[in-house]
This record gives sequence, structure tokens and C-alpha cells, in this order.
Amino acid sequence: MKKRGMGRYIFLALIAPGVLFITVFMLIPLFWVILSTFQEGGSFSLNNYISLLDSVYFRQVFGRSVRLSLLSTGLCALLGFPAAYYISRYSRHKGMMMALAIFPMFTSPVIRSFSWMVILGRKGIVNQALVGLGLFARPQSLLYNEFSMTVGFVQLFLPQMILSLLGVMDAIPTDLTEAAGSLGATRLVAFLRIVFPLSVSGLVTGAVLVFTGCMTAYTTPQLLGATDTQVLSTMVYQYAMSLRDWAQASAVAMVMIVVTLAVSTLFNRLSRRINPLAA
Amino acid sequence: MPLLELRNITAGYDRNIILRGFNLEVEKGEFVSLLGSSGCGKTTTLRLIAGFSEPNEGSIIFGGRDITHVPLHRRNFGFVFQSYALFPHMTVFDNVAFGLKMRKVPKAEMRKRVMDMLALVDLEGFEDRYPREMSGGQRQRVALARAMVIQPDLMLFDEPLSNLDAKLRVRMRVEIRRIQQELGFTAIYVTHDQEECFAISDKVAIMNQGVIEQMDTPANIFNGPKTEFIARFVGFENFFDLKAEGGAWLTDSGAPIRLTQRTEGSAVKACIRPEDVLIGPPDAGFENSVPGEVLVSTFLGRHVQYNVRTAIGEFAVKAEQDHVYSIGAQVSLGLIANKIIPIPQTNC
Repeated sequence: MKKRGMGRYIFLALIAPGVLFITVFMLIPLFWVILSTFQEGGSFSLNNYISLLDSVYFRQVFGRSVRLSLLSTGLCALLGFPAAYYISRYSRHKGMMMALAIFPMFTSPVIRSFSWMVILGRKGIVNQALVGLGLFARPQSLLYNEFSMTVGFVQLFLPQMILSLLGVMDAIPTDLTEAAGSLGATRLVAFLRIVFPLSVSGLVTGAVLVFTGCMTAYTTPQLLGATDTQVLSTMVYQYAMSLRDWAQASAVAMVMIVVTLAVSTLFNRLSRRINPLAA
Repeated sequence: MPLLELRNITAGYDRNIILRGFNLEVEKGEFVSLLGSSGCGKTTTLRLIAGFSEPNEGSIIFGGRDITHVPLHRRNFGFVFQSYALFPHMTVFDNVAFGLKMRKVPKAEMRKRVMDMLALVDLEGFEDRYPREMSGGQRQRVALARAMVIQPDLMLFDEPLSNLDAKLRVRMRVEIRRIQQELGFTAIYVTHDQEECFAISDKVAIMNQGVIEQMDTPANIFNGPKTEFIARFVGFENFFDLKAEGGAWLTDSGAPIRLTQRTEGSAVKACIRPEDVLIGPPDAGFENSVPGEVLVSTFLGRHVQYNVRTAIGEFAVKAEQDHVYSIGAQVSLGLIANKIIPIPQTNC
């Protein structure tokens, strides 16, 4: 009994610093932000949200944010699935391939965005190739639009998708695909019927990571986008820093949190329908 | 003509060749076991037949057709895994129906065949369960049903019972044998469990270091091992040299030994099981008598095992415990003539 009591105190002592830190620097400020969005002139009000939803501009930005995030998530899934499958099943130098996949994560998003500015610029390698091959007469504007933002997002978050998928794929025994093969399934069918459904939980984890990442990323849309391609995160900055409208900025932040949670829940529901056993 | 034939197979990686010039023939309807310790190449052989991997050299002939490079999904062989390899996200029904779906069998017929097969393996009423809700024995029966429902031309078993407890293992092997005889399929069964494979098989192929040392019926292997390796494998523990002199067989110390088996050659290695050696006082007067001294006596319940030092080597003897000899006792061993198995030296 005595030992158990001691263990309890030690347990509390061990988690206390972390809990305290999160409470003081995250939960309380977050609570304040939430509270402040429902106030105007010291009394309860929904005006912050009403004026947001009334604004055509906000609805545009909101739509763009969700659209680009979903598109980037989809592209990451499309690119990440074969990559993860290859690394997990066929790669001889697995550690090396994994290192290559996550290597971009060692570079800051700012540097990576600047690199894209060089690559996608009017005199960048892509435009030179397009013109050189005779596909276009003049350099195309590939920068400061939704295209460059999507490219930036995908490159930024693809490693998360690959890692999440690798985690579940490595746990799928090769026996299962062999069993499917011996029962008459081609490699493709075995992949679609066995590997894919069993990888869905990793796909969902990856999708949630990529989607939230895209929704909340700031430097990438700021550097690779333009004033007419604002997203929610750059909008928060604009409201808070340029317009000094903290209440409105907080309301936008709230919208971001709600959307992120909603989409994560949706992804989870979806995965349960494909694979009822996915946790 | 055999149903399945492996001709001159070489398999493995550059530095680790597992099979070299390997041959095997299996007749239609036979239940053949590949028996051997781990690393002997038995699982490699089975995986080659299944089509999970391809040999570096040689060919696999099935029903007169070369299937060496036929991909696994076109072979129509059933495979039962040690790990069961059930699809965890599918119900028992969907697991068993998988092969039929691949063959585009009509729904109604599929349902009937799956249900019949589940009845055969005694799993009626389990069709809506998921594999994780079942015990090891039940899972292996699902795996069995899933492999058999496609009416395979050949059933392959890769140590299917080694994850089960001892009691269940015995029950399941009887079950497998019963179903095999009921449906009459040809089977190749890989195991390292000697008792299991002797109980279940028509023929046993004992493998050692990538070659088949002997392939025969269980009784023939048990009573007439062809090599010392196999003799040790099936429980012979006492080995001694004999040489022919003037129409009789003599031990190294010159004592005559009578054999009942006709034996050619001028020298053989002979072996005998511990339970076929008699032990008595020095003046017991046994046939094929060898004097010795008890080194160790071990109580084994119904038996007592003695290790006895003799002039022709140490003998293990398993005796009834009616008279117990203590360590250091002078005894005489009697080698029962028709239980002595001569192994031709050329095969050693």
C-alpha cells in the first residue's frame, strides 16, 4: 500500500512539469483566445463570426485553404503510397531509402520555399526546360499562385505521409500477399484487396498530419503564394499584425481549429468503413 | 509418371546455396512429408513448388507440364502457412471465399462451397467471425478450408501445426489426414516433428543439408535407416563397426555378432536402439553379448536409462526397472539380433 502511494507521488511529480507547461503556455492562452472571439465590448456576442461568414473575401480564403489542403493531402497519398510500398517490400537498402524519404525534413520550410522560388521562377530550371523543349514559347508564371503553393505543400509534408504508411506496411506480414497469390490473386489484386485495406490506418494518420500541416503552414503559402492567394494562416497574420484586429484573427484561428478537427474525424470515419478493424 | 517432379533444382543466393541438384518425385494422391531440422532446405523446396520463389536452375514439372516459371496465382496449389496467414480484415467467410472470388465463381455456388468446406473442418456457425476472435486451432482450420475450397491440384503445408499446443497438434494432424483421405488430394507437408510426419504421411523424405537422404514409407525408414544421419534421427543411439571375417561379423574387439539382415560388403556400421539392448549380470548368457561397466544411470519413470562403457564404444540402454544397476557395476549387454540395423559404409 505504502509503495503504491509513493509510486503515485512519483508519477505526479514526473508529469507535473509537462502538464504545468502546457497549461500555462497553451491551454490558458487558447482558452483566452476562444473566449475573446465570443465577446464584443465586454459582453457575449457572435459578431466576430457573423462578420467573418458575411465576408465574401473570407469565404474565398476559407475555400482556398480547405481546397489546397485536401488537394495536397490527396497528392501526398498518391505519391506516398507507391514509395512506402516499395521501401517496405522491395527495397534492398531500406534504411538508406527511409533516410532519403525523410531527408527533406532536416531543412527548414523557409529554405525549401526559397528553393522552389528559384526552381519555379521565370528563369528557373522548369521554365527553361518547358521553353527549351518547345512546349511553350515564353516562360510561364509558375510562382505566386495556387500551383506553387501546392507544390510547396506536397514537398513539405510528403515525408510524414511516407513514414505513416511505412509504419503500418512493415507490420503487414508478407505471408498475407503470398496467401492471396496462392489463392489466385495477381500482385495488383493482392495489393488492392489485402495491402491497401490493411494500410488504411497509416493512410489516415498520414492524411491527418498532412492536412493539418497544410492548413496551419505559414511560411510556405506566404512565400510561394501572393496577396490574391491568401489562406487562413496568412489571413490570421494579416488581421493580427497588419490590421491589429486581434478578435477577428482569433476567430479565424478558431475556424482553423474546427476545420482541422472536423476533417480528421471525417478521415477516421472513412477509414473505418474501408477496414472495420482499423483502430 | 509422377504428378510432381523436381529436376536438378538449385536454389538460394550467391553465398548461400540451399538446394544443389535437388530431385523429388511425388505420385498422385500421395501424402509426402519433408522432414528435417531447420536450415535443411525443406521450406525452400515447398516455396519453390508453390511459386513464391523461382529456382536458379532446374525445372519443376507438374502433370507433365513445366511450371518452373508459371506465376504462383496460376498454379492452383493450396498453401497452408505456419502463421495461418488469414486476412485479418475479412470474416471467416470472406477468407475462405477469397480464392473462389478470384476464380469468379457465381455467388450461390460460392456460398455453398464455402459452407460445405467450413462444415468439413467443423467450423459451422463461425462464418461471420474475424480471425482475431478465434483460437489458434480454429484459425488453422480456417486456413485449411481456405486452401482446400479452391480444389487445388496439390496441397502444400508449411509446418502448419507448430504454433499449436501438443494436444491440439495431435488432434489436428489426425484431422488433416482424415480430410486428405476423404478428398483424395496430393499433399506435401513440411515439418521438423518426426512423430507428426510419421503419423500423417504415406512417404517421408528426410532432408539434410539440401539433399534428400532417404525417401520411403515411415515404417521402412523407422526400421531400416539408410544412413547414420537418419538412424540418429529416428532414435538409434548406439553405433558400432562390424567387419566380415570368414563368413561371420566381428566387432572391433573380435566378438562375433549375429545379424538377421542380409548384409553385403566387408565392413558396415551397425546401429541399435537403446530399448533393443538387454542388460544383465556378466554371466547372463545373452546372444551377441558385450561386457561393460555402468557409467550413468538415469531414472525415466517406466524405464531406467544406462550409459554403459564397452570395448566397442559407449552404449545407451533403456531397461525395465526390475533390477537397477548402480554406477560402476559390471554388466553384460545383449544386442537383439533382428534389431541390429547394418548401414552400408558407402552411405556414411
